[in-house]
Amino acid sequence: MTLTRAIAIAGFVVAIVACAVVEVLARRRDSTIPTLGEVCAHAIAYEVGRVPIGRIGFFGFWWWLGWHLFAR
Amino acid sequence: MEQPGTQVAVDAPPRGWDRAEVTLPVLAFLSLIGGQLPSFTTRANVYTICLGGSMVWLGLSGRVRRPIATRLGSGTAWWLVPIGIFGVFEGSTFLLGTPEYPTFSRLADPLLEDELVRSAGYLAWLTSFWALVRR
Repeated sequence: MTLTRAIAIAGFVVAIVACAVVEVLARRRDSTIPTLGEVCAHAIAYEVGRVPIGRIGFFGFWWWLGWHLFAR
Repeated sequence: MEQPGTQVAVDAPPRGWDRAEVTLPVLAFLSLIGGQLPSFTTRANVYTICLGGSMVWLGLSGRVRRPIATRLGSGTAWWLVPIGIFGVFEGSTFLLGTPEYPTFSRLADPLLEDELVRSAGYLAWLTSFWALVRR
């Protein structure tokens, strides 16, 4: 394994671990940090006029992600 | 005219089938099928597009939407840490585009060749998609 490959793997692992740590901190009693689900809920609710930009963006991205990982 | 995220009121009561005991086995069954379909096949493309399209339709139609329970706290910025770290590495690996410095999906590809891991990945994708459409 090359050093650059190890750096890439380490970077993604750190990001995933950091995500888990923030989620655990968010689930403590009286935490001011919202959970990932609450953050997503607010971002998804974003609208411009009557156009649900947040919903279209999130669902479109997640649809593409599944296709990219499992079909391409 | 821009409107920031508002508190969504949901008129309809939760549907009888919108429970984890009902939806999880269905999503697990769909994931088992998806895990059997290898990448770069027409079947895998059609299956993923149809499943994702159904989820998008459910999400945009608001049939299973739940109300937002709380306002975001002052600690929301902490989420920028993991998102930023992931963004830096995904962006740099994508721009450099070499096998020695692979993107997240290139690292995942060999793992997803195993049918069991692929089904587990499919289940993670579908359950998180379901969680998104219910928001």
